[in-house]
Amino acid sequence: MDFELNDDQRAITEAIETLLAQHAGAKRAVELGPKGDYDDALAAALSDAGFLEVALGEETGALEAVLVVEAIARAAGVVSAGAEVLVAPLVAHRALPGPVALVVAGESAPIRFGAHARTLLVSDGDEARIIDVAAGAASPVKSNFGYPMGRVELPAGAGESLGPGSGPSLRSWWRLALAAEAVGAMGAALDVTIDYVERRRQFGRAIGSFQAVQHRLAQCAVAKEGSRWLTYEAAHHGAPAERAATAAAHATASARLVFNETHQFTGAMGFTREHDLHVWSMRLWALRLELGGAAGQKRALARARWLGGS
Amino acid sequence: MEFDWSAEEIEYREDLRAFLVETLPENWAEISKDGPGSDAQAAYSLEFCAKLAEKGWLTQNWPAEYGGRDASAWRHAILGEEMWQCGEPRGAQYMNVNWIGPTIMEYGTEEQKTLHLPPIARGEVQWSQGFSEPEAGSDLVSLRTLAIRDGDDYVVNGSKIWTSYVNHAQYCFLLVRTDPESKRHKGISILLCPIDLPGIEIREIPSVVGDRYFHEVFFSDVRVPVSSRLGPEHEGWNVVAHALQYERVGAARYARAALTLDELARRAAELGMIEDEAVLERFGEARAACEAARMLAYRVIDLRNQGSPPTADTNVARVANTLAEQAVAELALETFGPDALEYGSFADSHFRLAMTAGVAVGATEINLNLVANRFLGLPRE
Repeated sequence: MDFELNDDQRAITEAIETLLAQHAGAKRAVELGPKGDYDDALAAALSDAGFLEVALGEETGALEAVLVVEAIARAAGVVSAGAEVLVAPLVAHRALPGPVALVVAGESAPIRFGAHARTLLVSDGDEARIIDVAAGAASPVKSNFGYPMGRVELPAGAGESLGPGSGPSLRSWWRLALAAEAVGAMGAALDVTIDYVERRRQFGRAIGSFQAVQHRLAQCAVAKEGSRWLTYEAAHHGAPAERAATAAAHATASARLVFNETHQFTGAMGFTREHDLHVWSMRLWALRLELGGAAGQKRALARARWLGGS
Repeated sequence: MEFDWSAEEIEYREDLRAFLVETLPENWAEISKDGPGSDAQAAYSLEFCAKLAEKGWLTQNWPAEYGGRDASAWRHAILGEEMWQCGEPRGAQYMNVNWIGPTIMEYGTEEQKTLHLPPIARGEVQWSQGFSEPEAGSDLVSLRTLAIRDGDDYVVNGSKIWTSYVNHAQYCFLLVRTDPESKRHKGISILLCPIDLPGIEIREIPSVVGDRYFHEVFFSDVRVPVSSRLGPEHEGWNVVAHALQYERVGAARYARAALTLDELARRAAELGMIEDEAVLERFGEARAACEAARMLAYRVIDLRNQGSPPTADTNVARVANTLAEQAVAELALETFGPDALEYGSFADSHFRLAMTAGVAVGATEINLNLVANRFLGLPRE
């Protein structure tokens, strides 16, 4: 057991953070957000720098990919990071043309990156399928929840099947990606909130000095930190069904707490587009609703542990 | 980062489990049903710890110099998990090996080390901790028990409260105020106080937690030799603060909670409850809480293994452990329904153990204060 980053991991996190400082961040997300645009420039930069190959590298794998996904989420990158950096390579064993959207067969609700996706990775019972999207088959959906959303129409049985058993595998990697993205977004949401409560003064003192505020933010930190380590551990073990669902269940449950408390403590300012909180906080709810929702992650964990199912 | 146990650690856990199967008596469930403070479990702990010592495992975390094996923090954590999981057959002696012994090693005189360490290492001695007082609970530094120097003795007057295990202990790790003019952190000293001295009176405080769980200890003109003071006079607080950081994650509560939850799931499956979506969700949530608590406790062990001084990660872990234990305890009662109302039943035993988690070794609010100030860097009130 070793909880410290090794040299490779440190090099990867430093490299991704350098790239993100240049190409991503809250300001960029706010610029793209209202228009529902995808960040093609960031996607190209990630691809050029080799971050789409981290999951299948010789010296790197799922854990390093999770660190990259978390960093991109923390920098509010408007790219399909979880799907492209982590899920697609580990389920399809190759990079897929991005943007990649993850979708459950038979569901017609808006999905993240649905309007921009060139590739759909479909969870279809026991199978995962890859579908190339013809231009125009998807329609954008206006959404307030931090990601470009769209609806896609899936022709039944279309695309390339990745074979029996690939469905559960897809759902496990997807859950891990959800957890990693939630951890990144929670970290950033808490950071901006802590910064806010340290500077915002009422009753002659920083509101962050009130115990009522401190305890609730401390509880958020406990929830987020637990989610973070569970995510890394699940990644290290290759996202077995139970561990992936554990990370997703805890991260999406924690996301609710972090959403509520960060918005509570940033007051009316936190609802504005002038303040950055919404860039991360609204995404937390999008993540909480995906792949069966936060309650679904808990049930998936219980089924994997006690009922032998996924 | 990597999260695998080494081959040696896996083998050690297997050896430990085999040892437990071989060693624990058939009536262990009966012995342990009233908790580690009960007469039955305290008596058994002496037998058990002697056997653990024979294996070289009781104080394996200690340096070889003091009869230990310089075992890694990870190996010692495995011991803690396996012990707590099965109801802590070491009884109160886990405190001896986790923090009382190590604190004596660090701050004790040669005479104190010779007197105290060998019996702890042989599993022959029981300790209690004399910290809380009627007017000093969460605000521990407001403690008032006075120890006034008189020749070669301190004369101790005052009282301690909530003292677990003191009914079976030979010693008390006692916090006193040696400077009557002092306030707060200054003027506090530690006495390694024999419990059989004249003037010490112990009264049980009956509670719903279990038999002999809490006690009040009264000190009336008790003469404690100056030679039993641990560390510098008036400056014992730093010693205690250091020791407490180890105590807060001393018990592997997540491990017991996780095992209990598995048992509850078996029970819920028998009753046909587990197919229910809402029940599944509750079980999943509780399992995730146990797992998060485990990883946060491991984070602390990892820091310790690297030789890091204690950090607020300890408080983060403690809060998570309390949440996990409470989630499982509530499910225990709800899964068993009214059958849980019987004293000593599976659900009742777990619930009683869990109900103190948010209060023992520092209230959750104190831990949250420390997380806010030291982990998040928020300004003090």
